[in-house]
Amino acid sequence: MEKQTAIVTGGSRGIGRAIVDRLLADGHNVVTCGRGERPKDLPEAAVWVQADVSKTDDAAALIKTANTTFGQITLLVNNAGVQVEKTVADSDDDDWDLVMNVNCKGVFNMCRAALVDMAEQGGNIINIGSISGVVADPSMALYNASKAFVHGLTRSIAVDHGPKVRCNAIRPGWIMTEMAEDGFALARDPEQAMADALARHPVGRFGEPKDIANMVAWLASDQSTYVSGECFTVDGGMTAASPLNPGLF
Amino acid sequence: MKLEGKIALVTGGRGGIGRAIVARFLREGATVYAADLSPEGSLAQHDADGSRFVEMDVADEGAVQAAMSQVQAEFGKLDILVNAAGIEIEKTIEETSLEEWNRSFAVNCTGTFLTSKYALPLMRAAAKSGTSASLINFGSYDGFIADPGLAAYCATKGAVHALTRAMACDHGPEGIRVNAICPGYIDTPMLQSFFTGDGSGGEGGNIDTLQQAVRDVHPMRTYGTPEDIANLVNWLASDEARYASGQLWVLDGGLSAQVQQMKL
Repeated sequence: MEKQTAIVTGGSRGIGRAIVDRLLADGHNVVTCGRGERPKDLPEAAVWVQADVSKTDDAAALIKTANTTFGQITLLVNNAGVQVEKTVADSDDDDWDLVMNVNCKGVFNMCRAALVDMAEQGGNIINIGSISGVVADPSMALYNASKAFVHGLTRSIAVDHGPKVRCNAIRPGWIMTEMAEDGFALARDPEQAMADALARHPVGRFGEPKDIANMVAWLASDQSTYVSGECFTVDGGMTAASPLNPGLF
Repeated sequence: MKLEGKIALVTGGRGGIGRAIVARFLREGATVYAADLSPEGSLAQHDADGSRFVEMDVADEGAVQAAMSQVQAEFGKLDILVNAAGIEIEKTIEETSLEEWNRSFAVNCTGTFLTSKYALPLMRAAAKSGTSASLINFGSYDGFIADPGLAAYCATKGAVHALTRAMACDHGPEGIRVNAICPGYIDTPMLQSFFTGDGSGGEGGNIDTLQQAVRDVHPMRTYGTPEDIANLVNWLASDEARYASGQLWVLDGGLSAQVQQMKL
């Protein structure tokens, strides 16, 4: 497989970091970004750019860094995302701006900036959507909606910019990140909550960030050259089962 | 009355959901044939409702042909066919015998195939009168996402969904609309059997507690009634739905709109 020049947004931790690690292990050049300082534990081979993807200038600067450091960007992984745990009634304008700016405008900004060259010379875009963009997580209204946007944009890019550009999305389920662990810590009975949640996963475990990185690696590889415009669910079988599972009661 | 002058046939017409559809069609002014294995159907009792009972095993080609011949002789057309007959085997594939598997497909899939096949000439005749004829199959939300221990049922309903789209493509040009209703948890004899049946969670537990727990998982905090299903069937059967075809109409109180509900 040819060595890619890859940008992974939101690579400081969690799923984004696992994607950075995997792409480096596969021999690609990787530029990643976040709103803060370079994380101390980020592998030396990865180039860090402090950037807010919701800002158009930052997105352009990120692409430029990749192009000048490694040559023409060929792979873009839009992973950066935020969540606000509120219903529509509870969400205020700031919540809307935060979620939509990062999860929607950020993905759009990065795609638009990357497509300047990709549309002519070819490229591969992988967006991180969510199962929550298909079925609703309670009290996550803006997040759920923002992920549905990502799925729709993915299909549009595949349709508009094929055959030069392939574009796909991955819909992770429950991936054990610091974000998910915080959720369980808040449960009335954390142990019971964990057992209940586990029982809803046909594969018998929660996802790990590297489960998503595995899919990214495949979508970035020459094994997937006929795959475009798809949104693949990687959730341990959770959404294949009815949310109503009488065996659990 | 939305269905005045229309001739309808409902399979499983004396069962949980079918019976509610028959009652609604009658109220809307249709002439209704209720087809079922027996006049009592799965509710094991029946009060006269003004429908015309036809004894029919939907998996029996001869019985289906005889019923359609009767409709042909009496009215010469069929405006509405509702394939509501269905059975449910509550087992994993390992526990399911070949006979049970075959019977599931015979009733849920072959039955839908046979009644539709022999109703089509009558429905074409109805469509010639100017308004479209409406064929309504019964899929299930289980055709999209699985309930545990219902393997054959899930598979038959997925097949009905695909058949619905295929029929809509093939027979749309003839003025026949084809849709499927995909119910979630509806209060029927089938659901009660699921609650109390082997391995479904009913054992050792209090059925009221179980039912409440099931209701609580639904965004609407209740499961549906046969009348809820009949409301949508009635609309799809009516001329108001004249542009609706080839679709799978999920009616589950929002159950499948949500991610698995973790007890946090």
